[in-house]
Parts: sequence; structure tokens; C-alpha cells
Amino acid sequence: MNPNSRAFLQLPQGTESFYLEEALEHEETVQGLKKFFASWGYLPVQTPVFDFYDIYRPFFDHAAAEKIYRLVDREGDLLMLRSDATLFLAKQLGRLENSSLPLRVFYADTILRHQDAEDISRNEFYQIGAELIGEGGSFADLEALMLLAGCLQTAGLEDYRIHLGSREVFGAALPDTDDKQAAAAVSLRDAPALEDILSRAGCEKEKAGFLVQLFLYIGDSGGLEELAARGKARGYINCDLEKALDYLSLLWAQLEELGVSGLFRLDLSETASQGYYTGIVFQAYKEGIDSAFASGGRYDKLLARFGFDAPSVGFSLMLSKIENFLSGIHGPRQRSCESAGGKTFAEAFRGAEEKRKSGIPVVIKGNPA
Amino acid sequence: MSPERMAGHPLSLALPKGRLFNQALEHFAARGLCVSPPDRELIVTDNKGMLRIFIVKNSDLPVYVSHGIAGLGICGSDVLYESGGVFFELLEFSFGSARMCLAAREDHDQDAAIKHLKVATKFPVFTRNFFNRRGIPVEIIKLNGSVELAPVLGLAPYIVDLVETGSTLKANGLKIVEELENTRVKLIANPAYYKVHYGEVDTFVGFLKERA
Repeated sequence: MNPNSRAFLQLPQGTESFYLEEALEHEETVQGLKKFFASWGYLPVQTPVFDFYDIYRPFFDHAAAEKIYRLVDREGDLLMLRSDATLFLAKQLGRLENSSLPLRVFYADTILRHQDAEDISRNEFYQIGAELIGEGGSFADLEALMLLAGCLQTAGLEDYRIHLGSREVFGAALPDTDDKQAAAAVSLRDAPALEDILSRAGCEKEKAGFLVQLFLYIGDSGGLEELAARGKARGYINCDLEKALDYLSLLWAQLEELGVSGLFRLDLSETASQGYYTGIVFQAYKEGIDSAFASGGRYDKLLARFGFDAPSVGFSLMLSKIENFLSGIHGPRQRSCESAGGKTFAEAFRGAEEKRKSGIPVVIKGNPA
Repeated sequence: MSPERMAGHPLSLALPKGRLFNQALEHFAARGLCVSPPDRELIVTDNKGMLRIFIVKNSDLPVYVSHGIAGLGICGSDVLYESGGVFFELLEFSFGSARMCLAAREDHDQDAAIKHLKVATKFPVFTRNFFNRRGIPVEIIKLNGSVELAPVLGLAPYIVDLVETGSTLKANGLKIVEELENTRVKLIANPAYYKVHYGEVDTFVGFLKERA
């Protein structure tokens, strides 16, 4: 074996390569989605490949921090490679003027984070996403949801569901509990743990049972409204919770009116792993994909941490997870292309150009000399 | 959705080889869900068409579920803890619980205070975390089986292992120094698989909860 072959054969964890048709399809999908975002009035932004680690450290728990590639610059400052496009973007947006709002931006970038050998199938290498900065309210939330659905339709993804939850419902229903512990119990749908947290917070048993049922609910708006009505009759729903649940119903009614509610499910166990979300939160799932391939939500306080206070909503899509399921932008895989030859290069070149007019890929053949 | 309606769309379930496999099949059979014991096949189905069962090595089970190859799995809490994976825990079974114990040779001085541990074990993550929480540093020697040999042959004075009856310990001249934790057998789900199939999975969980 060539002494250098180990270096050639091994890939660092967290990297990937595209080859030939695969690379072409990836490029076509990205270009198609960029056009789609542009048609909604979104402008492209590019984030830096690396930035100062200290700025982002408070956003990562221990496990997430371990996956970040870090390096030291010439002045001795600790840098991190881009592991999450949204966070890098948030810092860039901090330099904006209020007069430029509302702002619609999209990005499509590789991200770099370590993945364990057992975790490698997560395919989190390429994020494409959009953010609507400086708009609160239902129009902006619905725009983000419809933008994601439109994005997936453009790419040709079928049979997926977007699970829609609410950080406001979570905050209103569990005001006196440890936020991180309760969010973990809710997102893991761990009923015993949530009951235990509620009991320690002084919540009576029947009310705790109702709240657990509420957070485990998945379905349409009708089922949630029935559940909420039962809770309200027993006095388990406070004013804030009622308002937050009504807001979800309002969004659902609009999705129904648009004829797309079949793509969505209300799911109050969606609380988002990132603590910075403040309103709606959503994740998209599909049979055969081992984790959510898209996630997003409203984050009205995040930009303030970078010196720019503006309500915002957005999402990111892990493109590598869904690329095997796409049929929309690129046609069937086609390796073959025609060739054109001639006695001289000029003759071969002209022949090739003529054939290319019909849209067929053509290679210039041979070198008689 | 009734179990009958689920036929044709079986749920994928990973079961670990060995003792837990037989106990899980007994639990299913008591509720009318029969799986013929496989000869050498590693993929089997049941008589109602509810399940497509993959038979895997116990410690590999969380990997299959984490990757979504099997949407569901039945697994001990000890193996789950070691894997570090994120799963929905849907049900705790009454069968298969065991004691995670610290054991040593029979001549070990039970009253001696433990200030530093050298432990041979199949459960390094649990062992390190458990004793570190007590402020005791642990030197781990990772083994994959026959852990009881370690103190006998002098590889390490202590082992941390699952104990059911204690007869294997006794046969090898070992004794329990301390019971650390009771492990439980759980039905787990890949979170994304659950979100896609929550109706069918909830039906299956309800079916497993039925009294035999």
C-alpha cells in the first residue's frame, strides 16, 4: 500500500464531498431554491467561515460545544468554524440600521461540525434557510411557514409534515418551572418527568395531568381546541395560555384557508432545542429520515444579544438530509452526453456549439494530433 | 387505529439477542402477538403483521434506532445510558430489570473507605459518572464480556456489572460490594420516527400496556 494512502482515503469527521452527477444535482437544487427565495423578495447573505468563539459560547450547551471545530488565530484569539448559519447571521444583522427593516434574507452555506462515527448519518453539512427580520405577528409567522412549504415543494419533496409548536404556550403553561428541565421533558415527551417537575412546582395532580396531555397532543386544530375547552372548564388555562392557544388556532385557520393544513400538525412538544425561540417553533419530518430535516421559529430577543433589537422569524433546512428524496428541480440522472469531433479543433468546436443549441450537453471529442 | 388496521404498514422494532429477546416475545405472546422463534434469520415478522423485527446485538440496538433503521427498540436503561443517544421512552416493562452492582473478590474488606477505584466494566460511562458524582476518581478498564474474570486474574480489583441472581459472582469467588442502581427495560423510539408514525406507535404502546 502506498504510504500516503491513509491520508487520501480518510475523511475528517464532519466533512463530505460531492462527485459528478451528485454535485450537479446539489448545485441545481441550491440554484432552484435561491431563485425561489428571490421570487419572495429575499436577498442573499453570506456569513463568514469562522468567527470569535467567545461571542457564541453562551448559545451552546456542553454537547453542542464539543462538536465545534476551534482554532487559534495569529493574535492568540480562539476562533470557531461556522457550525450554525443562523447564529453567524444574527451577529451580522446586529450591524444593521433600523431604517432598513423589515429585511428578508436567505443563505445557503456549508456548515462544519464534528460528527461521531455513530452520528454521521445526520448529514448536517449544508444549511439553506431564510429569515424575516423586523416583523412580528401572524403575517410574518405564516410567511415563514409558507416559505418553508414552498421551498420543499420547489425542491420536489413529498410526504413530509411540519410539526408546529409554540414557545409562548410553553411559557404560559409552565411559568413556575425550571425552564431547561421542563423544555427537555416536553421535547422528549417524557410524561413522568414532566409530572414530577409540575408536582415540585406545586401544581395539583389533575392540572398536571391535563398539562401533560396538552403537551403530548399531536393533531389538527379541532382536537387541540376540544382539549383546551376541557381545560378551560376546569380552570386550568390562564389568560396567557388561552391567548397563545388562540394564536395557534388563528394560524391554523389561515393554513386551512390556503388548503395546506394537511402538510402541518400542531404538536406542543415542539419547544425547540435552542433556548432563544420566543414564539412559534417548528420542525419538519419525513419517513426514512432519521431526524428533523428543517427547523425554525420566532426569535424576538436573539438579535438584541448582538446589539440590534428586532422581532424575527426564520428557518433552516439541512439540505443533505433530503437530497436523496428530491425530484423537483433536477431531472432524472443523466450521465451520457453527445460528442462532436472534426479534423481541426475549430471544426469540432463549431459542431459542438451547433448541437448545444438544442440544450444537449456536448463534449469536444479527441485530439487527432 | 386498531392493530388489524396497522397490518401492511408494520412498525420496525429492534430487539436484542438473548434473554431480553425471549422475555419480549413472551410479553407479546401473552397479548396474542406471536412471533415464531427464528432459526438463523435476523429479520422476522409477527402473526398480525404489526411488526418487522430486527434482531441485533444488545449494545448495537441504540445505534439502529438512532439512525432510524429501526423506528422502535426494546432495550435496558443501562445500554441506553451508555449510548448517550436521544430517544423517546414510551413504556417501561415489568420484566428484565436487573441490579447494576459494584463487586469485588470475597476477601475484599467491606468496611474500607473507597478513595480511588480501578474498575473493569462493560459500562464505562455509567461507572465514571456514578462515582465522579460521589467525588471518587475512577480508572476504567473497558471489557466486552466475562467481566467476573477481572478481579480473579488481577486485571482490576473491582467490577461494575449487571447482576440478576448473583450466582455467577459467587461461582467466581466474588461478592457484591454495593448495589448502585436498578436498571429497567424500556420501549424506545427514534424521535423523528415517532413524529411520522405517532398514531400507529401509540396504538402499539396501548396494546403492550393491556393486561395479559
